[in-house]
Amino acid sequence: MNVEKIIALVTAAGIELTDRRRNAKGDGWSLSFANGASVEVGDDGKIGAAGKGAETVARLLDLPAAPGGA
Amino acid sequence: MKRSYGPAPFSSTLARFSSALARFSSASALCAAVSVPALAADPGGPPDGIDKIDTVVVIFAENRAFDNLYGHFPGADGIDKAGKESLEQRDRDGSVLKELPPVWDGLTAKGVTPPVTQAMTEHLPNGPFTVNDPKGFDVPLTTVTHDLWHRYYQNQMQIDGGKNDMFVAWADSGAMAMSNWDASKTAMWAVAQKYVLADHFFMGGFGGSFFNHQWLICACAPYYPNADKSPAKPTISVTDDSGTALKIADNSPKSAMDGIPKFVSDGNLTPDFHAVNTMQPPYQPSGNESAPGGDPRYADPAKPTTLPPQTEPTIGDMLSLKHVSWAWYGGAWQYTLDHGNHEPTPNFQYHHQPFNYYANFAPGTEARREHIRDAGLAGVSFIQAIDDGALPQVSFYKPQGNLNEHSGYADIEAGDRHIADVVAHLEKSPQWPHMLVVVTYDENGGIWDHVAPPKGDRWGPGTRIPAIIVSPFAKRGTVDHTPYDTTSILRFITERFELPELHGIVVRDKAVAAHGEPPLGDLTGALELN
Repeated sequence: MNVEKIIALVTAAGIELTDRRRNAKGDGWSLSFANGASVEVGDDGKIGAAGKGAETVARLLDLPAAPGGA
Repeated sequence: MKRSYGPAPFSSTLARFSSALARFSSASALCAAVSVPALAADPGGPPDGIDKIDTVVVIFAENRAFDNLYGHFPGADGIDKAGKESLEQRDRDGSVLKELPPVWDGLTAKGVTPPVTQAMTEHLPNGPFTVNDPKGFDVPLTTVTHDLWHRYYQNQMQIDGGKNDMFVAWADSGAMAMSNWDASKTAMWAVAQKYVLADHFFMGGFGGSFFNHQWLICACAPYYPNADKSPAKPTISVTDDSGTALKIADNSPKSAMDGIPKFVSDGNLTPDFHAVNTMQPPYQPSGNESAPGGDPRYADPAKPTTLPPQTEPTIGDMLSLKHVSWAWYGGAWQYTLDHGNHEPTPNFQYHHQPFNYYANFAPGTEARREHIRDAGLAGVSFIQAIDDGALPQVSFYKPQGNLNEHSGYADIEAGDRHIADVVAHLEKSPQWPHMLVVVTYDENGGIWDHVAPPKGDRWGPGTRIPAIIVSPFAKRGTVDHTPYDTTSILRFITERFELPELHGIVVRDKAVAAHGEPPLGDLTGALELN
């Protein structure tokens, strides 16, 4: 699943993309969404969700579990 | 007008007055598209009889264009009156689309059964379609659908100078932008029939919820000082030469039939650092957590999406200056502070709480305690205040997420029924005999509407939205064709309580006049006050 697909799936659920940028290491993308979730998408295809809305985003992306969240 | 008001218990000190005026002055310099040195309300005075209204209630739902819900309302300027120019959508090169693109990733939200898939939405004719048409998709009003882009620059690109023919071209959801509903069986449709439906009411600012909530309370564009030297730098948008459209990326699909457009930088800030798309509040509840080791009442200012505290005067400041009682009632506000957010219910929306962006309402202030109130889950505390006759003179009510009608996470039926229930309580309130209720939507949610917005200033007005005016003084059973925008609510409040006029309203009025447009009304056109 690439970055564009991730953004499409999350935003289709009414959760706005609020920030998109290359991560500090330069090996992937950092996405932020209006529900407080942040999603790290590695260039190697690894995906992780964290932050307040991580559970919802993980569910939308069919991720096995959200490592963060409140 | 001779009416006296009790003192606001906490928030109106001389210091606050001076401070607000100082900020007002600096704010004028900040957003001075048109320089107008006005502080006082219309010297002609408020409209006759306006003091019959003692209690103003504003209910702010989410993301519906007028044609999306009321496009077939009897007597209204609806879809049937749309010209071919706006009915027929054009491709990104200006040519007329032969058909609509599909709804990318499907019309229904994830998990909805039975789904309406992307394949099922292919080959729709170029024009509006009704989602709950029994001969079409037959999707009921209780269904959550795909969300759509509703962003500052895209909205202007879609409006296309008033032709409204690029909604599909600059959408991220293909045909979804042309969707509408038969809402004639909803509870709020009946309320609109009973009272007044305003059919030329436009959203105050272009774009989305964050920006239009700011317009509801401030008539201003929030500002991020020195954004180019801040964590928010990468979210500064890149526009084309017009300054009103995003610069298209080289790898963007040339045709709307081929996919979602791409831009060089589709950010939250304008090139001159105004925040026009969603930023998070600097105070909790915010989408951004507190800084590690920092004050837990604050959001982490190092996050690129945390907006610095804002200092422009709001309508709340103006009301406090004149000792008029007021409150913002946020659905699920306290629940979210105490328990965190939960989805799908209450699905609290951080960026729908506009006062939480302002230094005057920072945690620990008396103003916050007095004016930022919890509406409770499903509005139960707000409804209790209604029933008790305990509403302040001006109330804003924001339903919690699952009851706000926003595409993507809420359906129309639940929010509509909730708001109609609130209206029913208001009609029975001890305060009802002198009440004005405005039920409207913050913005169009990226959905097409056929009426050209009035030409205004840099920030708006944007697309037409529904507005229902409910009052014992309403011209019952009528459709009001007066041009309004979100700031018309502020005009009414300003005139009724003889407040200093917010600078953004002055700028908007001047800009509308400069374009030869009729003036935006103050809602009294919907009322019989004499």
